[in-house]
Amino acid sequence: MDTKETGLLDEIKSKFKVDGRVQREQRIWISTDGSKLMEVCKWLKDGGFTHLSAISATDWLKDGKYELTYHLWSYDDNILVTVKTKIDRKNPSIDSVVPVWEENAQIHERELHELFGVKFKGNPDLSPLFLEDQEDVHPFRKDFNWREHVREKFYNKENEREAVYYD
Amino acid sequence: MIDEMEPAPKGTDYDLYFGPAHPGSGNFGVKLKVAGEIVVSARADPGYLHRGFEKLMEYRTPIQNAVLSDRLCVLEPLNWNLVHAEAVDELMDIDVPERAKYIRVIMAELSRIQSHIIWYGVFSLGTGFDTGFKMAFGYRDYILDLFELITGGRVYPAGYICPGGVRRDFPNGARDKILKVLDKMGEMIKLEELENPALGARAKGVGILKVKDAIRLGATGPVLRGSGMKTDVRKDEPYEIYDRLDFEVPVRKEGDAYARYWIGIEEMKQSIKIIKQALKELPEGEVIDPSWKKPKLSVKIPKGEVYVRNEVARGEAAVYMVGDGGSKPYRCKIRGPDFLHMIPVLEYLLKGAQIADVPAIYWSLNICPADMDR
Amino acid sequence: MKLRIIPKLFKNLFSKPMTVRFPHESIPIPEGYRGEHAYDMDKCISCGLCAKICPNRAIEMIEAPEDIKDRYPKTYPKIDLGKCCFCGLCEDICPKDSIELTKNFFLSTFDPTNVIKYPTPKVEEQVNG
Repeated sequence: MDTKETGLLDEIKSKFKVDGRVQREQRIWISTDGSKLMEVCKWLKDGGFTHLSAISATDWLKDGKYELTYHLWSYDDNILVTVKTKIDRKNPSIDSVVPVWEENAQIHERELHELFGVKFKGNPDLSPLFLEDQEDVHPFRKDFNWREHVREKFYNKENEREAVYYD
Repeated sequence: MIDEMEPAPKGTDYDLYFGPAHPGSGNFGVKLKVAGEIVVSARADPGYLHRGFEKLMEYRTPIQNAVLSDRLCVLEPLNWNLVHAEAVDELMDIDVPERAKYIRVIMAELSRIQSHIIWYGVFSLGTGFDTGFKMAFGYRDYILDLFELITGGRVYPAGYICPGGVRRDFPNGARDKILKVLDKMGEMIKLEELENPALGARAKGVGILKVKDAIRLGATGPVLRGSGMKTDVRKDEPYEIYDRLDFEVPVRKEGDAYARYWIGIEEMKQSIKIIKQALKELPEGEVIDPSWKKPKLSVKIPKGEVYVRNEVARGEAAVYMVGDGGSKPYRCKIRGPDFLHMIPVLEYLLKGAQIADVPAIYWSLNICPADMDR
Repeated sequence: MKLRIIPKLFKNLFSKPMTVRFPHESIPIPEGYRGEHAYDMDKCISCGLCAKICPNRAIEMIEAPEDIKDRYPKTYPKIDLGKCCFCGLCEDICPKDSIELTKNFFLSTFDPTNVIKYPTPKVEEQVNG
């Protein structure tokens, strides 16, 4: 059945040779690799997707990769397109999308750099946002042992209220 | 941090901390570099309320996350309950009964009215109209008494809107009480339309944001509508039963602080209209999917991912949830409207403004530090 | 001078104030309010579900004190009111309805040892003969 979403997905697939699917109406999910990411983003922005809703990262510990997702919304067509890429977990770095979406993308990338440790090449300002005096501690990784960190850094008295842990 | 900003002209510059210990700024600080009376540059200082929600939600099951989700924004807990519950419903493919959908919309719109009343009260306080502040908090108490009757708590409803429906049904007599409270709200809105000259003089023509800049900086909600763009998530992408209800979306073209304040008052009128329609059409039936009636210790979240958008009182809110077959979500990313309003938009608007205009601009953006820091 | 404010002024002068004089008078609290816990040790079967569902880990299962250990041999919940968020999940999940939330909300205290509630059996009323 031909709808607006399948038409758009076919156009993207034929132009850039990427994988994708239509989840339900108003939702399209596309997976690509890092070399084509900037072209796809620029083409989408010129095609009406002017609003960047969020940038997020998922830590797949078993595969050893981070998966970055860019969620884009178009005010003209009312469709949400998500672009996903995977990068290596040991030295995560990728080109920044600040030339395309400017300050909106800059603040999202600054948060991801602090919490996951991803380096964005070309972002003008990657200083810490929420945490103070805790450089090089990336708390949202899956292998970060937060109980040990809290016990060493923040004083833990021997009181009975601190002794309840169930998992 | 203050050394990284541009230097001010010599001889007249000094640093001003409009910070978290100031009575007019909430849990958030802004560092200003000032030359004479004009602000040269501003830098936001977030992080006073950072609790690490996205990591906390990875260690708890969906019903425990529903209780946690009302602390995402202190001023409108029921709207954020609704975003989280919708994400879990879509990921686990749960059928929500019809009566539950109508009750969810009624509670979310009541919470929106209550949040706009706080906005009106604090904006009046910041610009010198003290009577407005006291009236606003007096009238807000009627809605908090309704919440106490229906959900059991005045401010935090403890996961009232949970995956599968709502936790409790309306008690007897709740419907008449809601209609009485709506009459009182209608009476309060007429009071505001007595123009106060101090508010008008301080807020008109101040903090102008054009449409192109608003979209580039990521503004959504009343801030974007105050600049002239007619867009609302409840109309673009209807969720729950909003496609069956009849309401309008107020828009203004000037883009200054007074236009955003006026939109807040018009939205309250539209919310009253929505609640009256929903109460008339409320059907009978169950309020929760039968398998979710008692809290479950372990569920099976299927593999998949979902992105849900909603319109909370401050703008566009979204949840991105990833499941991997276990009983807890693998990743739960939360996008709040204030993350964009408080850092890029505020720094852009405060540049070049006078010191006396800083409270009017700051409070007209309707900020809540809790959903910026999460 | 704006004269349309005068009828509003008279109406406000002769109407009731919005506040009540607490603690001499207070507004009634409705049913279903989530306050302090009331625990019945005789109905409890020590399943431990309340401790597992609590989102803040405020409930811990401990053994009864020495003098009543023969009547109550299993483990019973100890509630830390400082960590509790009064959500009511422990009340909903208990299969025997032995935890209930009452209407009491006067819980602030100067003494930090009052914050933890230990499980105690109900005291039997003594009838004066």
